[in-house]
Amino acid sequence: MEQPVQTETWKARSLEELIRILHGLFSEEKVSVEEVQELMESYESNPEEWMQYAQFDQYRYTRNLVDSGNGKFNLMILCWGEGHGSSIHDHTDSHCFMKILQGNLKETLFEWPEKKGNGEMTKKSERVLRENQCAYINDSIGLHRVENISHTESAVSLHLYSPPFDSCNTFDQRTGHKHKVKMTFYSQFGERTPC
Amino acid sequence: LGRSLRVLNLSGNRFGEVPPVLLALRGLRSLSLGGNRLHGIPPDIQELRSLEFLYLGGNFITSIPPELANLPSLSYLVLCDNKIQSIPPQLAQLHSLRSLSLHNNLLTYLPREILNLVHLEELSLRGNPLVVRFVRDLTYNPPSLQELAGRTIKTRNVPYAPSDLPENLVRYLSLASNCPNPKCGGVYFDSCVRQIKFVDFCGKYRIPLMHYLCSPECSSPCSSASQSSTSQSESDSEDEASVAARRMQKVLLG
Repeated sequence: MEQPVQTETWKARSLEELIRILHGLFSEEKVSVEEVQELMESYESNPEEWMQYAQFDQYRYTRNLVDSGNGKFNLMILCWGEGHGSSIHDHTDSHCFMKILQGNLKETLFEWPEKKGNGEMTKKSERVLRENQCAYINDSIGLHRVENISHTESAVSLHLYSPPFDSCNTFDQRTGHKHKVKMTFYSQFGERTPC
Repeated sequence: LGRSLRVLNLSGNRFGEVPPVLLALRGLRSLSLGGNRLHGIPPDIQELRSLEFLYLGGNFITSIPPELANLPSLSYLVLCDNKIQSIPPQLAQLHSLRSLSLHNNLLTYLPREILNLVHLEELSLRGNPLVVRFVRDLTYNPPSLQELAGRTIKTRNVPYAPSDLPENLVRYLSLASNCPNPKCGGVYFDSCVRQIKFVDFCGKYRIPLMHYLCSPECSSPCSSASQSSTSQSESDSEDEASVAARRMQKVLLG
């Protein structure tokens, strides 16, 4: 495939096609964040295509690996029951794309705490992401908390992380103290993987 | 239907109270009334003996009845996004509780009994005005004569029978609480000292826990000497902290 002069505008017509185009993009030396975000946003969520990966847990949100991107990225589906939310976390120097497949998710951005910080963390902004919207974050932008604030609807999101990572820091909002945590998968490629 | 219905989801409606008819569904395992207009939880919720999952997030609930603790199978309790100001210590009797969601309420502290929930794996507390500094309740209302008499009866084991006393006093005597200070062995009724101590979970989150003591001279179980200095009381929490930390390592979700 000839290297385009400017970034392409892709349209993924199915989840399978999305994954295929992603593999193509990430096989290149340089990857454009805008290109990936546009591509993710172009895919119109079709539950039939991702239902097998959407495994919910009663008590907390789940991470379900969909594709391991030839080691260049991890593509996973997160399932959020009513009221489920994450702690404030960073992204271990990786790119993070988050697309809503079903329902809505609230994203709250935070500033990095001061080195010897011992005060309440500063909220930068918050927004509610709608179905098919795709958000992007990396450590230079800041930290975030993601939550399903609905008490009536569950939510499903599609995440791409590049390079892949399996640990990150969580932050206490009241003090800014951080704590390293290991992240695990609830299921991989559709199979439940108890840890 | 009364005995066969297992799951009922009435979320996103306009219920101002838990419909009393629901309390007859003895076989109910999962009940959601999230996103309604509830202002309270009826004590008769304890009738739902089979309940494992109770979702009450997104209402206007201001307090929790201690009777909620009488649900032996409850493992998932969601009370987030309400107006709750305090948690009754009896909730620590919910031995099966695995997940407790309390975020976005009006809590300033938790009862120290919360440490007894050994199976708790998820606890959310964000969005509560939890106190971050040591707080000592400086006002202490001296006990009434009735209370002093009641304390004496209890601590000296003065024998009495229901026929000896008016019914209201018999009931009053049954409400005595034990002072947690092991060196005290005393009891109190209404007059007590509230004291907040902090328990530090793995150096990552400090939870303010409320102790009730029978008098200002008493000290809480782990503390040694005076309670006047802040640093003393913070280090006093270390024994408690290490026990709590072992039990609730994965718990806090900020």
